[in-house]
Amino acid sequence: MAEQHEGPRAVPDTPGARTSGDRSTGRRPLRERHVDQTIEVAVPVRTAYNQWTQFKSFPRFSAVVRDVEQVRPTVTAWTLGYGPLRRRFAVEILEQDPDAYLAWRGLEQRPWHRGEVEFRPTESGGTAITVRVLLEPRGAARILTRSSRAARLTTRLVHGELTRFKRFMEGLGQEGGAWRGTIRNGRVQHDRPEPPRSRVARWPVG
Amino acid sequence: MQKPHGEESETSLSVTPPKKWAAGVPAVVHALEYSLEQTSPRRTGVDLLTMNQVGGIDCPGCAWADPAPGRRHRNEYCENGAKHINDEATTRRVTADFFREHSVADLAGRSDMWLNQQGRLTEPMIKRPGSAHYEPIGWNDALGVLAEELKSLASPDEAVFYTSGRASNEAAFVLQLFARAFGTNNLPDCSNMCHESSGFALSETLGTGKGTVGLDDLHHADLIFLVGQNPGSNHPRQLSALEEAKRNGARIVAVNPLPEAGLRRFKNPQQPRGIVGRGTRIADRFLHIKPGGDLALFQALNRLLLEAEDARPGTVLDHDFIDAHTTGFEEFARHARTVDWDDVRAATGLTREEIEKVRDEVLDSERVVVCWAMGITQHKHGVPTVREIVNFLMLRGNLGRAGTGACPVRGHSNVQGDRTMGIWEQMPDTFLDALRDEFGFEPPRAHGLDSVNSIKAMREGRVKVFLALAGNFVRAAPDSEVTEEAMRSCRLTAHISTKLNRSHTVCGDTALILPTLGRTERDVQADGEQFVTVENSMSEVHTSRGRLAPASPMLLSEIAILCRLARLTLDGRVEIPWETFEGDYHTIRDRIARIVPGFHDFNARVTRPGGFQLPNPVNEGVFNTEVGKALFTRNESVVPRAPEGHLLLQTLRSHDQWNTVPYTDNDRYRGIHGSRHVVLVNPADLSELGLAQGDRVDLVSVWADGTERRAENFQVVPYPAAKGSAAAYYPETNVLVPLDSVADISNQPTSKGIVVRLEPVPDRTQPSPA
Repeated sequence: MAEQHEGPRAVPDTPGARTSGDRSTGRRPLRERHVDQTIEVAVPVRTAYNQWTQFKSFPRFSAVVRDVEQVRPTVTAWTLGYGPLRRRFAVEILEQDPDAYLAWRGLEQRPWHRGEVEFRPTESGGTAITVRVLLEPRGAARILTRSSRAARLTTRLVHGELTRFKRFMEGLGQEGGAWRGTIRNGRVQHDRPEPPRSRVARWPVG
Repeated sequence: MQKPHGEESETSLSVTPPKKWAAGVPAVVHALEYSLEQTSPRRTGVDLLTMNQVGGIDCPGCAWADPAPGRRHRNEYCENGAKHINDEATTRRVTADFFREHSVADLAGRSDMWLNQQGRLTEPMIKRPGSAHYEPIGWNDALGVLAEELKSLASPDEAVFYTSGRASNEAAFVLQLFARAFGTNNLPDCSNMCHESSGFALSETLGTGKGTVGLDDLHHADLIFLVGQNPGSNHPRQLSALEEAKRNGARIVAVNPLPEAGLRRFKNPQQPRGIVGRGTRIADRFLHIKPGGDLALFQALNRLLLEAEDARPGTVLDHDFIDAHTTGFEEFARHARTVDWDDVRAATGLTREEIEKVRDEVLDSERVVVCWAMGITQHKHGVPTVREIVNFLMLRGNLGRAGTGACPVRGHSNVQGDRTMGIWEQMPDTFLDALRDEFGFEPPRAHGLDSVNSIKAMREGRVKVFLALAGNFVRAAPDSEVTEEAMRSCRLTAHISTKLNRSHTVCGDTALILPTLGRTERDVQADGEQFVTVENSMSEVHTSRGRLAPASPMLLSEIAILCRLARLTLDGRVEIPWETFEGDYHTIRDRIARIVPGFHDFNARVTRPGGFQLPNPVNEGVFNTEVGKALFTRNESVVPRAPEGHLLLQTLRSHDQWNTVPYTDNDRYRGIHGSRHVVLVNPADLSELGLAQGDRVDLVSVWADGTERRAENFQVVPYPAAKGSAAAYYPETNVLVPLDSVADISNQPTSKGIVVRLEPVPDRTQPSPA
C-alpha cells in the first residue's frame, strides 16, 4: 500500500518540484482522499493488472463508463454516463508500474480529480486492488460535492465498480490483453530503443 | 465580388479600423453569401453538412484536425473552409469556348481572382508550340503528348513532378512511384515553401518531422504560445480548440508583428456566447514582436529560465527529462547564458520586462504548448528558431506529456500526408529499399530537386518538362519574374487542376491543362465508388469522400490521370499494376501499408470512424535522432536589421483568400476594402519616411545580387505593424522575394523579413494586374 507522508501536493506545480515521493518509482501517494476502497479478486496479480490496463474494455463491466478512447499510452478519454447524461473527460497516467501501481489525474479543470490504484498479491494467490480517488471540484461543483453525502456517493460508486470488475475478472479467468510499459512523471519509459508503435516515417515533413 | 467573364474593375481602396475579434455572425453571413454566389443552396448544403464529418469530405482549406467522432458539431467548418469548398463546387464552367475567346496572353494579363472566378475546368486542353490559344484535346492524346515528351528526355532528371497539398495520400503515393519508376527524385512540393524549416528542425532535434500535439493536448495545456501565425484567417477552426483550452483554464501568449483579430477575441458562431456575448478572449498577453525576432525571444526566455533555476535550484528545469532523454544541454546552456539583452531588444523590439512577464507565465505553467506557422519558418533563420523553440520546451520537460508539445500549424489539407507518402526529393534509403522490394525496380538514389532548385534548373534549361499535381506553382513560388521565366523556358508544362490559375497562362512551348475531380465530387472507378485519404496536421489519417456529381463527365481523378500517364510513359518497363490502382484505390493503400511505416492494416483502420492516428515517437519516449536522444542545440543569435530608410517586409494572406487565390479585394479583419495593392506600415515609420495614408509607392526589395525587384503601385496604409516592419499581400509581393534568399538548411524561400524601401510614385493611379 502506498505510504502516506507529509509533503507537497501529489501533482507538483512545476517540473522542478517533482522531487517529492519515491524517486525510484516516482510514486507520490495521495495525502488526502475522498475514496479509499479495496477489493480482493481471485486471480493472480499479473492477470488482474493486465486486464486493468485494457481501458477500452471498461464499458464491458462498468455501470457508468460508456466509452474509453486510448489517445496515447499516457492519455485516455473517458465518457461516463448515467441515463441520458454524458460526461467526457481526459485522464493522464502519471505513474505506472506493471503488476503494482497506477496513478492518474484528470486533465479537466472542472472538476479536477486524481487517483491511484494499487495491486498486491494476497496469501491465497489472489489480488488485493485498492483504489483511492481525490476529487477537487472547482466552481459550482465544489459546493455540490462538499457534503459528506457526495463523498459517500462517490465511495459507493467506486465500490460498485470494483465489485463489477471482480465479477468480470473472475468470470473471465484470464486477461484479454496487456500493456506492460512503465510510466514515470507522465512519460513512457521503454526498455527497447524502438517500441513497435513508434515506427513511423522519419523523414522531415515540410 | 468578381463576375464570371466580367472585366476587371478598377479598385477603390477604403480603410476602416482593424477588427478586434474574429468569426461570429459575420463569418456565417460571409460564408453563405460567397457559397450561394458560387453554387446552389442544395449543393452548398450537401458540401457543408458533410464537410469534416465521418464519411464526408475533408475540407481542403487547411490541415487542422477534426474533433473525435461524436464530438463534432453539425457544422464542423469555418468561414474560409465554407468559401473554399464552394469555390470548388461552383456551378461556373470553363469550356473550350472560353479558351477560344481568351488567348493565353490575354489570360496572362488577368488577376488571380479573375482567373479563379471563371469556374471549373471541364475538358483537357493543349496549347501547342507557337499557338496563342489553348484548344481541346482528348485524354489519350493529351497524356500521349506528355508521355512522349517525357520519353524523349535525355535523362529522367530533366523532368520535375510538383505536388500541392491538396493531393490525397493515394495520388501522392502514385505520383512518387511513377516519378521514381521513371527514374528521378525531382519531387518538389508546396511543403518546400511553408513548413520545410519546421520539418528539418524537428527531425534534427526530436527525430520526427511532425508536431507532437493533438487536440487534447491543446485543450489541456496551461499555457499556449501562438507564434508567427494568424489563426483567425488561416486556421479558424484552431480558435475553437483555443476557446476550449481557455475555458479549461489555459492562458495564451500571442507573438506576432501584427495584432491580428483572431489573436484577440473569438466569437464562436456555434455558441450563444459567440452570437450575443463578447466571445472568448484569446491572447492574455500579446508580444508585438518585430519580424524575425522570435529566435531572440526564445533565446531570452531560455536564458531567463536558466537564471531562475540558478536562483532556485531544482525547481525550474526538468532535470529528470533533461538527464534521461536529451543531450547537448551543457553547451546549449553555456551559450544561452551569453545572450545579449541589447541584441534581444534590437531583434524583438520588446523590453526585458515584457519578456520576464512571459517567463513568469511559463514558471506558473506545468503544461506548455508552442504553436507556430510561417511567421517563423519563412525567415532565413527559420530552422534555428524552431530549434530554439524545442530547447525552450525541453528545459521544463514540455514534450511527451499530456498538454505539452510542439505544434507546427500546417496550411494545406494534406501537405503532411503527401510528404509521408514519399513526396520528397531526399527520401532515405529505407523508403527507397521498400519501394524496390515491393515493386521490383531500383529507384534512383541521387537526391532530386526541391522547389527553389527546380526553378533554377528550369531557368538554366536543365529541366524541360514540368508536371504539377494541383497547385499554382507560378504564384506560390518566390521571385515571380524569375519563376515565370523558368516556366516559359520549359518545352512542356502540364497541370492537373480543378480551376484556372496563372500557372496555366505562364507556360512552356507546349502546355497541357488536365482537369480533375475535386474533393467534393463522387469518384467512380472500375471497381465502384472510391474514397481517398489524408493526414492532418496532428497525424490523424482519415477518409475523404465527395458527394456531388463531377463538374464534367470528362474529368478524371488525379489517380486515374497519373496511372494512365505512367502506363503510357513506362511502356511496361516496370511491373506496376497501374490499371488495378486506377480501378480500386484499396489496392494502392495495400501497397502503402507495406511501405510506409505506421500504415499497417491501412484499409481496415482508415475506414473506422475518424480513421487512425499515427503514433508520435516523442509521445512514447522515443527520440529517433542519430544518438537516440533529443538534441539541445546552440543557435547563433540573429538581429534582423534594415538599413536606414528601409523596412522589413512580411508577405501575408488576406482574410478573404485561400493560398494564392483571393476571393475578393477585401480583408475585413484588417479593415482593408477594395484593394490588395496596399502596404501596411507603422504610423511612426511612415512619419519618418515622409509618407502618409493613401500615398502610392513602389516596393523595392534589396538583395545581394543587385537586381532590382519591384512591386508597383501600392497604397500606403498606416497600421499597427511592429515598428520597422511592413506587411503586404502574397502572392502579389512574391516578386520581391529573391530566389536565392532562402532559409539556412531547409532551402525554404524567405517570404518574411525582406528588406524593402518604399519609393513614392505620385503619377500612377492604376495597380498592376497581377
